[in-house]
Amino acid sequence: MRRILIFLFVTFTFCPYLYAQEGLERNEEVKKLKEEMKQFQAQFEQKIDEMKTHYDEKINKMQAKIEQLEEEKAAVETKPYEVAQLPQTSLGRYFQSFNPDVSLIGDFIYHGTNKKDDEVYNQFKMRQAELAFSAPVDPYSRADFFMHIEPSGNEWKIGLCEGYLTLLDLPLDLQAKVGKFKANFGKVNRLHLHSLPWVDYPNMLTNFLGEEGMSNPGISVSTLIPNPWDQYVELTLEAFNNHNSTSFAGTEGRDMIYLTHLKNFFEINDESGLELGGSFATGPNDDGHGKNRTNLEGIDLTYKWRPLKEGLYKSLTFQNEALFNQKDQSDGSQIDSWGAYSSLEYQFAKRWSTFGRYDFSEFSDYSSRHDNAISTGLTFAQSEYCFWRLHVKHTDRDYNKDINEVWLQCNFGLGPHRAHEY
Amino acid sequence: MKRIMFFMIFMLSNFITADSYANDKIQILTTTTDLKSIVEFIGGDKVKVDSICKGYQDPHFVEAMPSFMIKAKKADLFIRVGLELEIGYEELIINGSRNQKIRIGQLGHLDASEGVSLLEVPTTTKIDRSMGDVHPMGNPHYWLDPLNVKVIASNIANRLSEISPEDALYFKKNLSEFNKKMDEKLIEWRKRLVPFKGENIAVYHRSWPYFVNRFGLVASCELEPKPGIPPSSGHLKEVIDKITKEDIKVILMEVFYDEKPAKFVAEQSGAKVVVVPNSVGGTKEAKDYFSLMDIIVKRLTEALEQ
Repeated sequence: MRRILIFLFVTFTFCPYLYAQEGLERNEEVKKLKEEMKQFQAQFEQKIDEMKTHYDEKINKMQAKIEQLEEEKAAVETKPYEVAQLPQTSLGRYFQSFNPDVSLIGDFIYHGTNKKDDEVYNQFKMRQAELAFSAPVDPYSRADFFMHIEPSGNEWKIGLCEGYLTLLDLPLDLQAKVGKFKANFGKVNRLHLHSLPWVDYPNMLTNFLGEEGMSNPGISVSTLIPNPWDQYVELTLEAFNNHNSTSFAGTEGRDMIYLTHLKNFFEINDESGLELGGSFATGPNDDGHGKNRTNLEGIDLTYKWRPLKEGLYKSLTFQNEALFNQKDQSDGSQIDSWGAYSSLEYQFAKRWSTFGRYDFSEFSDYSSRHDNAISTGLTFAQSEYCFWRLHVKHTDRDYNKDINEVWLQCNFGLGPHRAHEY
Repeated sequence: MKRIMFFMIFMLSNFITADSYANDKIQILTTTTDLKSIVEFIGGDKVKVDSICKGYQDPHFVEAMPSFMIKAKKADLFIRVGLELEIGYEELIINGSRNQKIRIGQLGHLDASEGVSLLEVPTTTKIDRSMGDVHPMGNPHYWLDPLNVKVIASNIANRLSEISPEDALYFKKNLSEFNKKMDEKLIEWRKRLVPFKGENIAVYHRSWPYFVNRFGLVASCELEPKPGIPPSSGHLKEVIDKITKEDIKVILMEVFYDEKPAKFVAEQSGAKVVVVPNSVGGTKEAKDYFSLMDIIVKRLTEALEQ
């Protein structure tokens, strides 16, 4: 009995401690398990995220691939279908592609002047309509025609300003032009009225080469001269009928005018370039088959600047030309005369530009007479195909009264303009 | 006389040296820097590439400087964007170069637009200039869709392989790497722009239809009243109303346009002007096609997030 009592005493005395001990151990175990569970959960979530990212990427890749394949398939499938669906458009273009590019450019002016004998004294004038056709003829050549429709009193006359074939596929880097074309003398002689940066031609050109410059039937051959500096050097040789009456023999002439032109272009940087040209033309100035000759030498210098980034809004062209004339006279004497112009054109906004030009020119037949002219003007380009221009000019003539002139020009074009040369 | 002979021999030796150096690699002239970047990836060290237009220049208005003719003269391959983007200068440069190899129809002339998916192809039988500077064959800014660029890359690889068959495997390998990278980048660009799917944006010029089409955005108005026609005050007022009404956040424009009209619209409407390059080299960071698209996507998403 005593033993039983001792056993019971010991049991009741130490059991709570044992219970407590056991409880603590369990708590720790639960805590540990919870932590493990958390870790497992975190790992599981991480795995799930990784898998999700992995499968997302895969799905995206597959989606991109599907879209790409669908587009490629659509591109292949729709092409013949589009042709079939739009027969008029496609067919129209198909036939049009065999037609030449046709352009029509109108040049309308108001000319105010104090020169009372001028035929367009304070009048409106549809100065010119230029009709242009151009296209490749075959794989070896292309053709360009420029016809001018101009007023002549109360009538209208149509004339061929230029019409020539360009042979593009000649050996030794040669190119040739045959037909009627503007002579490659200097810079401004090659420009048509509508592509001038002013309303009128410089006095130098009209006094020595005629109202619209020198343009005659002939042949022209040009080549690029190779050089170790990779510069653009073009040499042109031309022979054409002696029909220029201002400096040469005119329509009575049965001889040729021979011309050579050397064009050098130096790229200063991506935004600017300098062109230096030299020209020489020679031909009889009477019907004496070369007894009396005219020699013309020309030099031209043009600097162009157009910033690449702001090229839509700013540009500058500084163009200068000088021409020297030695003309034999029938009495054995020789007239030495010359002319020059200097022009600065500045574009200050997308649609606006201004210019100033100074002209000095003697005459082909008179070295004792000369013009001094100063011009300024403003151009508003309504769009690429239509511009308005105001040009004011004062000409000081030492052989007659001074002239004050003002032009308001509107120039507008239809059809695809042929790209303009630099 | 000896001096003249010496000078002539010296000059001749210069030409010969220059020519033999030039023959080492395929000489390529591209019209834009985007094409240059793609060709450089595909052609690797087998090609030498130059571009006519700079990345910060409006590709519609490039002058045919005679120095481009000298570059074209030496080219084995001329690559253009096509769709009349280069109508103002391409013919002058090719004719002026007297290089028969790069004429249209020759192996040395590649129109990169062959086979690309085009947008805005006029469906009416008559288009005219009252519509502005529209391109009768479709919008030419197709390089801003990365999937079209894969077609361009494929065109280039094929043509290079025709010009240099012995390197065909090399070009094919480069094409495969290019496409792989493009796929990876496309996913990345899509991920960034997915949150803005269906979002309206304003643009300056109609250069962005391919980009917005690919990434699910909507170019709902343009600052130019018609392509190539400068913004007028009347039209800008309409744009401001539209931006306010549609809660448009971004006016996206290229680096070479005048920012004044866009800033005016932004001030009046609360939208943000985002100026981005649209061609490689448009800014210093746009070193190649991938970094170009990285910049466009980054700047656009940053502005849309605000």
